[in-house]
Amino acid sequence: MSADAIPSSQAMTAEPSRRDRSLDLVGIVLSIVTLVAALASFFPIYWAIITSIKPDGEVISGSNTLWPNRITFDSYIHIWNNTNIAIWYVNSMVTSLIITAAVIVSSAGCAYALSQLDFPGRRLIYMLILACFMVPMQALIVNHFVLMAQFKLLNTWAGIILPQLIVPVVIIVYKQFFDSVPKEFREAAMMDAAGHFKILFRVYLPMNWGVTAALAIITFIGAWNAFLWPFLAATGEATMTVPVGITQVKDAYGIVYGKLMASAVVAGLPVAIVYLIFQRRVTQAIMLSAGVKG
Amino acid sequence: MADIRLANVSKRFGAVTVLENVSMEIESGEFIVFLGPSGCGKSTLLRMIAGLEAVDGGQIHIGDQRVDHLPPSQRGVAMVFQNYALYPHMTVTQNMSFGLRNIGMPAQEIAQRVADAARILEIEQLMDRRPAQLSGGQRQRVAIGRAIVREPKAFLLDEPLSNLDAGLRVRTRVELAHLHQRLRTTMIFVTHDQIEAMTLADRIVVMNNRKVEQIGTPMDVYSRPASRFVAAFVGSPSMNFLPVAGITDVGGRARVELAGAAAIQTGIPTRELPAGNGLTFGVRPEAVRVAIEGKGMLEGTTDIVERLGDRTLAHVRLADGTVLVAEDAGKSTLQAGMPVSLTVDGTATHLFDVNEAAYHAAA
Repeated sequence: MSADAIPSSQAMTAEPSRRDRSLDLVGIVLSIVTLVAALASFFPIYWAIITSIKPDGEVISGSNTLWPNRITFDSYIHIWNNTNIAIWYVNSMVTSLIITAAVIVSSAGCAYALSQLDFPGRRLIYMLILACFMVPMQALIVNHFVLMAQFKLLNTWAGIILPQLIVPVVIIVYKQFFDSVPKEFREAAMMDAAGHFKILFRVYLPMNWGVTAALAIITFIGAWNAFLWPFLAATGEATMTVPVGITQVKDAYGIVYGKLMASAVVAGLPVAIVYLIFQRRVTQAIMLSAGVKG
Repeated sequence: MADIRLANVSKRFGAVTVLENVSMEIESGEFIVFLGPSGCGKSTLLRMIAGLEAVDGGQIHIGDQRVDHLPPSQRGVAMVFQNYALYPHMTVTQNMSFGLRNIGMPAQEIAQRVADAARILEIEQLMDRRPAQLSGGQRQRVAIGRAIVREPKAFLLDEPLSNLDAGLRVRTRVELAHLHQRLRTTMIFVTHDQIEAMTLADRIVVMNNRKVEQIGTPMDVYSRPASRFVAAFVGSPSMNFLPVAGITDVGGRARVELAGAAAIQTGIPTRELPAGNGLTFGVRPEAVRVAIEGKGMLEGTTDIVERLGDRTLAHVRLADGTVLVAEDAGKSTLQAGMPVSLTVDGTATHLFDVNEAAYHAAA
């Protein structure tokens, strides 16, 4: 039987079936389409980078070359010397990190309560959190602005941070994770004299740091890239974040593309670094939240 | 170690009552097994003692203290879960010391207790591993170790052997018995496996349908079951049950007439039996022996022969169609389809009334 099987298998290896050949063809076409899509996505980034290292004259000459005739870092030197980008960076870093930490801690706590504790109104609260998806951030901008103005928090870090702490998707992803943990772990921890905070932070979250890492990364990226609310809440350069600060990069003659692109590259750098380091986690986070967002 | 007393304990889940007025006393150092079919409430009762389920009625005392209002960690008991519930991100040492650290025990004492438990359970070489790096049996030991280090007044074990393969299950069962002999701490063990119950227990609590059917030593439960349910549930193969056609009194003892005109003299006092019909005769397979043809009390035809090595079980169809399981020697020559004659040991017979209450031969 085995003697028969060997030539048969060799024959299969030597001569791919029609089905295998058609699969190969589909694979090649899909690879080409993916490559084109990837290039199309990457092109604006590439264009921003080469524009930022072109001399101003070349940028406005309309030559639109794919590679600079002369490479210069004048735009970077200019934005470093003539704008508050260092301050914007600090503002972005501080607000993004605080938002990330606060969102993770509060959402994990909220999700733990909704998932593990039995209290009146639990379902209603969860429904309200789900309903938050139906209200876009833009619809709340006026309310947020009035509230922050009344609290006298405009042009402060707190004013930028507070309205960005509501991230229902993080609560929902955490709740789904906690729902999937067998209840015996909580009961074992209760027998081990652990309170709810200890159960959450010493047992549940460490069981799968991947979920927290993924959610922290997407929250950080979201907070770093946030434009509309920080744009409204921070009107003075001292409290602007990087995306808002970029709008200030202009001179007496209007928008200077080279310098604008240099600031955009600098602004996107931390997100790009975070993405490159934690690529797998970011993908995981997108998949986790995709199930929620539909 | 402490006595555990349950007084009229009840539990409801919404409109469904899962335990009703359960009372029992467990002596210090006893190995008690809660035995019953799935859904009978045995795990719920254990969880109520542990504090993982609220008590809707009645009281639970451990030692001199009423505990039914206390959180689990303050009851002085330790639990081993069916799936072990070892924290997957912690090493064996961390798993075993987690509870002790939570109560603020000095590090030196924690280290000492963990080392002692590891030595008792022979898991010293596993202490730096995580649960995923352990086999099922090793995990089970670690789960017991986590309970031992707390030096509890009682161990609560919720079907801890059910996830092990058959061979490991038997070995672990023996180890648990050794551990109990060594620690002499009260252990309450939940299982639906009657062999585990019979081999481990000082006393068995047989539960069914929200209530306790019987509390007794393994041999009590086996040889003097309190109800038809206990008689049927305990013992493998199960007890034979035959409808009773009539009872006659012979010297104060009941002579049971079975359908098909066979009659069996029992040791059951006639005066204890209720008036009226509806009695059921019960006898365990080992009390029904294959006899020389024509010399027995019952005649039938062999349906199936099960050879177990040390003994042979014969499923015998009687004239009225009832099937009875009888025992024969390991080297029995019985074959399916052969006519067979059976004798019944009347001193090991039982009668059950319509309410399933049991009547046994006088002790």
